[in-house]
Amino acid sequence: MRLRFDEELNNLNREMILMGSMCEDAINTAIRALIKGDPDGHKKASAIVTEISHKEREIEDMCLKLLMQQQPVASDLRTISSALKMVSDLERIGDQSDDIAEIVSMQNVSDADDKFEILDLGQAASRMVTGAVDAFVKRDEAAAREVIKEDDTVDDYFDKIKKELAKSIQTDEAGLEKTLDLLMISKYFERIGDHAVNIAQWVIFSITGVLEGNTK
Amino acid sequence: MTKQIFKHMQILITVALLVAFAAMLGILYSYFGVVQEGQVKAEARLAAQGVEAEGVTYLERLDLDTTRVTLVAANGQVIYDSEADASSLENHISRPEVKEALEDGEGMSTRFSGTLLKAFVYCAERLPDGTVLRIAEPRDTAINIAAGMIPFVLMLLIILMVCMWFAARHVARRITQPLNQLDLDHPMENDEYEEISPLLKRIYVQQKQIADEKGRLVRIERDFTAVTQHMAEGLILLDEEGRVLNMNNKAGKLLNAGDVYIGTDILALERREKFREILAGALNDGEHGETVLPYDRLSYQVDVTPVLDGKKVIGTVVLLFDVTERETAEQMRREFTANVSHELKTPLHTISGCAEMLESGGVKPEDQKKFVHLIYTQVQRMITLVQDILYISHLDEGAVDMSCSRIDMCLIADKVIESLSPEAAKKHVSISLDSDGEVIYYGVPRLTESIIFNLIDNAIKYNKEGGKVHVSIRAGSDTITLQVADNGIGIPQDDQDRIFERFYRVDKSRSREIGGTGLGLAIVKHAAMLQNAQIRLESRLGQGSTFTVIFQEKSPE
Repeated sequence: MRLRFDEELNNLNREMILMGSMCEDAINTAIRALIKGDPDGHKKASAIVTEISHKEREIEDMCLKLLMQQQPVASDLRTISSALKMVSDLERIGDQSDDIAEIVSMQNVSDADDKFEILDLGQAASRMVTGAVDAFVKRDEAAAREVIKEDDTVDDYFDKIKKELAKSIQTDEAGLEKTLDLLMISKYFERIGDHAVNIAQWVIFSITGVLEGNTK
Repeated sequence: MTKQIFKHMQILITVALLVAFAAMLGILYSYFGVVQEGQVKAEARLAAQGVEAEGVTYLERLDLDTTRVTLVAANGQVIYDSEADASSLENHISRPEVKEALEDGEGMSTRFSGTLLKAFVYCAERLPDGTVLRIAEPRDTAINIAAGMIPFVLMLLIILMVCMWFAARHVARRITQPLNQLDLDHPMENDEYEEISPLLKRIYVQQKQIADEKGRLVRIERDFTAVTQHMAEGLILLDEEGRVLNMNNKAGKLLNAGDVYIGTDILALERREKFREILAGALNDGEHGETVLPYDRLSYQVDVTPVLDGKKVIGTVVLLFDVTERETAEQMRREFTANVSHELKTPLHTISGCAEMLESGGVKPEDQKKFVHLIYTQVQRMITLVQDILYISHLDEGAVDMSCSRIDMCLIADKVIESLSPEAAKKHVSISLDSDGEVIYYGVPRLTESIIFNLIDNAIKYNKEGGKVHVSIRAGSDTITLQVADNGIGIPQDDQDRIFERFYRVDKSRSREIGGTGLGLAIVKHAAMLQNAQIRLESRLGQGSTFTVIFQEKSPE
């Protein structure tokens, strides 16, 4: 009985890793699209997001089945319940990556030369997602804490970008639409960072049993 | 053990007790029979004497308990009976004891009385008057005797059981203690029980077999580990679910696996998209897959091969090997081709443009010469480029004549300076040669010449107007040092590593203006390498560059 349960937990773990990797793919696709100003990135990101949504349903089903059939306790219960919470954050990350790729596909920002800051922000967010998935995969509490710490960097980037964009609206250096698009992209990256923090917090919860801070 | 022994003892004792009980019962029964017969006989005699003296009245006075007294006349007629009415009783002449008494004076018999439903011992005495006096005593039955004995027997049994429990425990301990103390590591050294020596022998043989087999497995594993752990390639074995069965050091390092990796899902260690795809292909469809993934700064080819049992995938072998060199070479080849095409295309455009204008007659006659000259210079440029490309590909293929001969480096430098003097004059660059007269080097003339030519050529090209080039050739104890120094534009620090690459230009925007093919330093590098010479570069932006080539002096063979 326990053997079967372990087997199913292993499967759950594998599916979670797969979903995490898909989210990494999605955000990296969005960043690549942003660098190249590539409108096709949206198509690719959408395909990944569809897969991510399927995975989310699949994992939710698995978790609910495990909860009902096995009635897990202690760390098993934490693993399953945190997986249930994590998938929704992962799904949001995928969605927001797709949103970024979609904005890029509208071609308003393709010639922006002030993208570098935003790319730094995007890379930082991507590092956070990778870090959060890594922390989950390795059950590494320290790595999860690193991710939470890195959120400050992302927030700083975002604040800086926001101020600069506000300035550029006043001086009307660039088109308003482009500025707004860049602001949206930055906000999405910032949100992705927040979701990565949530995931990291659930990872810590599944290890220690203590849920720290407020999930965003 | 105790329980087993106790059980067996219990059975044994119970059976023994029962047998003893039955035997005793038999003995007691017959003993009591004899005793009772004697008693009855004595009673009969006493009563006979009483009846003889007093007649039937004696009998009537007797206080009888269980004893029955009967007086029978010589013809068998019952005269008196202590328990029944004499007249109601049948004739007793046929009773064995009466018959016997009438014949012999005394008779004994034991019978079951139908009247009283009991066994009786009868004893008859013939009186002098011919009548027969019979005494009957109820016989003690075996059941009676047994009933009397049972409580004692039961008590005995209980006491025995308790004793037996302790005894069994003791015995069990006595038996098992030596067994527990058997030295099973050296089974043949025990001589406590002869009975278990076959078992010990068996253990000994099996232990030896196990040890041999274990030794063999350890050896195999050690060999396997030695081979796999020292492989330059990373090797990972996965089960059918994609969990790690084993991996070697190299793979562990590449995947950052840490110490505990057996049983880990491989996706926990490597989850990049390309890898996931080929892994899924191998695990689900049994297809071989390969891809190239970067690890740190190196490129690794990842081969995923399913292990099939029939059509079922029972595992996967993942092999990682370094293809950085191949990838870099491939990239260089690609870049080279792109660069060559680009470099060839540019002059062709100019030529084609000029030729088109000339053909259409859109050029004034006085300008025609200018256009033709342009075509001529561009064609010259292309020729140089093609020559350089051919030369460098010859160097690449090792198709250059490598026969060494005696070369005077100063003479070559002189010739080169002379041939380049028109260029130098155009830029007002002065060239000075500083040498010890004749410096002899045994080397490949063409390679040496191309080194000197390209270095001086560059020193002129990348110089400032009115700059200086200083060439010095010095013979050391076993080396010859060629130095070409200029006070030209210099090379930025970041580019210094790359200027020997083919078509690499520090300032791409000015390359056209300066001319040159972008292959000069690549040729220098190659030519120096083929002659085992070393190149050093010192340069500061805006202050000039100094190229130093150190040739190892070779003796003429």
